[in-house]
Amino acid sequence: MAAAAAEATIDGGGKMIILISADGKRFEVTEAVASQSQLISNMIEDDCTENGVRLPNVDGDILTMVVDYCNMHAGDAAADGDTTKASSTEELKKFDAELVQALENPVLFKLILAANFLNIKSLLDMTCQRVADMMSGKTPEQMRETFSIENDFTPEEEAAIRQENAWAFDD
Amino acid sequence: MPPTKKAKKAAAAGGGDLTGALPDAMLHRILSLLPAQEAVRTCVLARRWRHLWRSAPGLRVVRAAGRPPATVEELQGFVDHLLLLRGGSPLDTCELSFDQIRRQDIPRVNLWIRHIVMCKVRVLVLHFHPHCQLDKLPLVSQHLTRLELSGLILNDSFLDFSSCPALDYLDIVQCYFSSSLTNITSQSLKRLRIIKCYTGSRPHVHATNLVSLHLDTITRTPVLERLPSLVKADIKLNSQCRDFCSFDDFSGGCNHEFCGGCRGVQAENCVLLRGLSEAKNLALVAETKMFVFRRDLKWCPIFRNLKTLLLNECWCVPSDLSALACILQHSPVLEKLTLQLFSMGPKHKVEMKGSRHPSGVSAAMLKYLEIVEVKCEVVDESVLDVLKFLSSLNICKITTGTHAFYIHSICI
Repeated sequence: MAAAAAEATIDGGGKMIILISADGKRFEVTEAVASQSQLISNMIEDDCTENGVRLPNVDGDILTMVVDYCNMHAGDAAADGDTTKASSTEELKKFDAELVQALENPVLFKLILAANFLNIKSLLDMTCQRVADMMSGKTPEQMRETFSIENDFTPEEEAAIRQENAWAFDD
Repeated sequence: MPPTKKAKKAAAAGGGDLTGALPDAMLHRILSLLPAQEAVRTCVLARRWRHLWRSAPGLRVVRAAGRPPATVEELQGFVDHLLLLRGGSPLDTCELSFDQIRRQDIPRVNLWIRHIVMCKVRVLVLHFHPHCQLDKLPLVSQHLTRLELSGLILNDSFLDFSSCPALDYLDIVQCYFSSSLTNITSQSLKRLRIIKCYTGSRPHVHATNLVSLHLDTITRTPVLERLPSLVKADIKLNSQCRDFCSFDDFSGGCNHEFCGGCRGVQAENCVLLRGLSEAKNLALVAETKMFVFRRDLKWCPIFRNLKTLLLNECWCVPSDLSALACILQHSPVLEKLTLQLFSMGPKHKVEMKGSRHPSGVSAAMLKYLEIVEVKCEVVDESVLDVLKFLSSLNICKITTGTHAFYIHSICI
């Protein structure tokens, strides 16, 4: 079995896998596409994708995005020819930028969780970078507002912490 | 620390704290991407955030957007606090980027680096501007895998990585190699990039496990010692390189007192080509006046693994294609040859693909050669010379766009 799976991957990921979201939506993807998830890649290796892969932590709408992302990036790891790569890399960058820019905050955070659960490093990097970019240049108050973080310090406590870390606040 | 119950509830409700649903590891990841000042300031966001910054595995001491230049003088107090208070918490990545380091700051920066290395950092990025020379201390780390240097004045001891047995990737950009620098040494190094560096002397690269090498714009080409594991090398010697003869002597030994390029070169052995001889994939590009490649051909090794080769006009000087002929003769398993003639790319006005005469007998030499590409701005005399040469290799038919023609029909 393992040998057959390996063969299919070499053929450009011919073998199909079914991914099933928390709300029961089914996605059919090639092994090559699905293997970008380290979690699924390990499952493929262990030969336990036969009856579909249930992903109880990932909603259908989020999984749609993850699958789109993986479909776009499927050639990434396999691409060898330098000449074709240059143009497609640019295309991918554009796709990634548009994807991540367009996300509403709640969706962005759900996508981080999905990328973390599925262990897709590039997607996790990209989404975390987006959050960092949104935090950068903001005061703590603005950060709280952006991400609806509830300040559970009393004003006295907050003042004391600022005092304790004054070395990071003076300017 | 898991997300607080309250935060979890709020997140589940949809309108609440968005970060509440993320595990600490994710927040650490995000904090690692922020400039350190901003990462520390998250301590006042909420209880959960109070100590998160201390254990984030990444540290970026850089000039934050909209902030004044990051001088060591300005940041000294901050970085001291930062490093002491986070203690020995392990580091995965660390970036130190300073816009000014005064002479008196150097011991402190050295101390910071040593502390960071003690935190088991894997990826270390040092970016200084203007250039600065650190103490002559070699780095000692079992954990360092990737080192990126820019704006440093480098010496022998800094570039001796025998005490960094896990170092895999070394990137040296816009650095000065001090005149005493003679060796870059690492047993573990797999990938090396040297870009836009100034060097007075010719350093020797000792890296027996090197897999990929990228050299672009360096004043003196380094000497490559044996690189038995090399797979890919990309070498570009442009006009910044001093390895050219003012009197057009391609042996590098004109002996003319006014020629700085040739001085001391005659006594030297093979510089680049011997070290590159195991590679599978080579791009060798130089300004026409550079002598390094052509001089090295005196010792031309057999490129017994070479499958793809990219050369530029430096190998095809008008009416002398001996250098091109020589390297091809020494590349028995070559499959793809690309000639970029007076056209740097990435886009070229004329792109031609050569193919063997279908009924032709394969030349004994280059029997695996399948693809020949010629890229140029205009098909002039010198390009025609190259085409004629190719036809002697049984590359008779040329395709460009939708047109195809036989070389002998245009070269007579």
